[in-house]
Amino acid sequence: MLTDVLETLVHGLTLGSMYAMVAAGLALMLGVARLINFAHGEFFMLGAYAFWFGYREYELPYVVAGALAVAAMVVWGLVYQLGVIRAILARSWHVQLIATLATSIVLTNLAIIVFGTQPKEVPTKLSSTILDIGGFRLAWQRLLVLGGAVVVFWALQRFVTRTRAGRAMRAMSQNREACAVVGVDVQRVALVTFAVSAALAAVAAVLVSPLFNIFPDMGTGLTLKAFAAVVAGGFGYVNGAIAASFLIGVVEALAGSYISYAYKDAIAFLIMIAVLLWRPAGLFGRRIGI
Amino acid sequence: MGRLTAVPLVAVALAAPWLVALIAPGQQRYIVHVLIYTALFAALALSYDLVVGHVGSLSLAHPAFFGAGAYTAAILATRAGWPFLADVAGAVLVAGVLAAVAGVPLFRLTEHAFAVGTLGFAVVAWIVATNWVEVTRGPLCITGIPKPVTTLPAWYGVALAALGVVLVLYLGMTTFRLGRALHAVRDNEPLAAAAAINPLRYRRLAFAVGGALAGGIGALYAHYLSVFCPEEMTMALTVNLLVILFLGGVGSLRGVLVGAVLFTALPEVLRLAPTWRLVIYGALLLVIVVRSPEGLEGLFRRRAGAR
Repeated sequence: MLTDVLETLVHGLTLGSMYAMVAAGLALMLGVARLINFAHGEFFMLGAYAFWFGYREYELPYVVAGALAVAAMVVWGLVYQLGVIRAILARSWHVQLIATLATSIVLTNLAIIVFGTQPKEVPTKLSSTILDIGGFRLAWQRLLVLGGAVVVFWALQRFVTRTRAGRAMRAMSQNREACAVVGVDVQRVALVTFAVSAALAAVAAVLVSPLFNIFPDMGTGLTLKAFAAVVAGGFGYVNGAIAASFLIGVVEALAGSYISYAYKDAIAFLIMIAVLLWRPAGLFGRRIGI
Repeated sequence: MGRLTAVPLVAVALAAPWLVALIAPGQQRYIVHVLIYTALFAALALSYDLVVGHVGSLSLAHPAFFGAGAYTAAILATRAGWPFLADVAGAVLVAGVLAAVAGVPLFRLTEHAFAVGTLGFAVVAWIVATNWVEVTRGPLCITGIPKPVTTLPAWYGVALAALGVVLVLYLGMTTFRLGRALHAVRDNEPLAAAAAINPLRYRRLAFAVGGALAGGIGALYAHYLSVFCPEEMTMALTVNLLVILFLGGVGSLRGVLVGAVLFTALPEVLRLAPTWRLVIYGALLLVIVVRSPEGLEGLFRRRAGAR
């Protein structure tokens, strides 16, 4: 009984890590560029396929395939920012939402055409080796996900507080006009933000894909949950989004095990709507700043 | 739309099955089928435009109401043996009440949060439709929904009548005092509130009426195909409706009708596979919303202004 609960919790934290890495990117974009990227789940999907391509098709080692996938997604983040986002950055949120939603539809269906609807599996040595502590069993890959998430968020924290680019991002999230006045290259900061966000989604994909299958329309649900976390965490507040992601992951895992597996996603969204209504400024009551 | 152009257009729309029989006798069944789709999609897009175009709330929940209506009608007709008009009325009622009730919490959200909240609501509705197997039969779909009329031209008449009803309601809600109040809420909410127009009330009203109409169209759609599945109420439907609205022109009757005609006719002409269709719609939506967010209607207006 106790081990069941523990296993469910670990599963929830794994899900939470995945949501948190996607949600952190979404929150960065929202905080710095004031933009809702409805195609963000597709960043994760593309990262997962990039990883699958290197790992299964070219049989590269896990770390190499992962690094290549992250690099490819950084390039994609830059291309997306220059190709799509730059045209809509100054437009109303209606336009931004519909444009990024349209991008997500294009990417999902292109993925169906290119990769087919058959899920891809990328098992690794770590995902098939089980650690057994007195009946409490978990795959090593899950430990890698949790450890990886800790390292990623520590690095992200260092990046936004200690580096020039990171500080510029924080400054932009607080006052865009003032940044432009004192000579911050606003366009470049927006580019860096998209590169970092895409990299976060790709890291999540590389860490998590060995545990779950990869399929073309995995992005939509992920965007929604990450968005739920961003909203619940307080629009654009990155640490809030990360905390809310873990909460959503754990709630989803518990609901899936103890209430109803079929309705676990419905429960997650109902909780999101409830949080929106109960605390419109987010669980942590902070709206501005990353 | 000027009266002079409207009259011949209505005449052409009414006579369409016979015109098709004259022009392309071998293709009549197929073309009339496309016409029925066009009329139903035009009506559905008008109901969506009440919310998106006239009170400016970007709701993504429309498939939920469409599906609620379709399932209500399908279940009443197949299990309780209700007659056609009664089960359609039931569908309108159920979808309308659902929209009115869901509107109360959802409209406490603004902008992005509203869009995400409504999208979440639509996803929950789809999950329920897929998993509540005892009622909806889930992925097995509800089959054998009776058809009140059997010939295609008669079905076209039903679809056109439905479009007529939606059109009259649409015009009634978007002109006169009520229409001006809705537009005031859309264009400047604080000013509307200052002029004693309660923005929340008008938004909820448009949302409930739009939802009720979507439910009615969903009921007709289920009867026409005589089968209804959960896949009919996914995000893809929202994307289709957004393409129609933005292609034609948000908040404009002529724009939405033109958008619906182009939207249903184009893929039939191009004979695309469904996946490629969505790729092209997505790309089209992206280009339109970035380059010309007023759609074709903006183009019409600019040309009329230049003359």
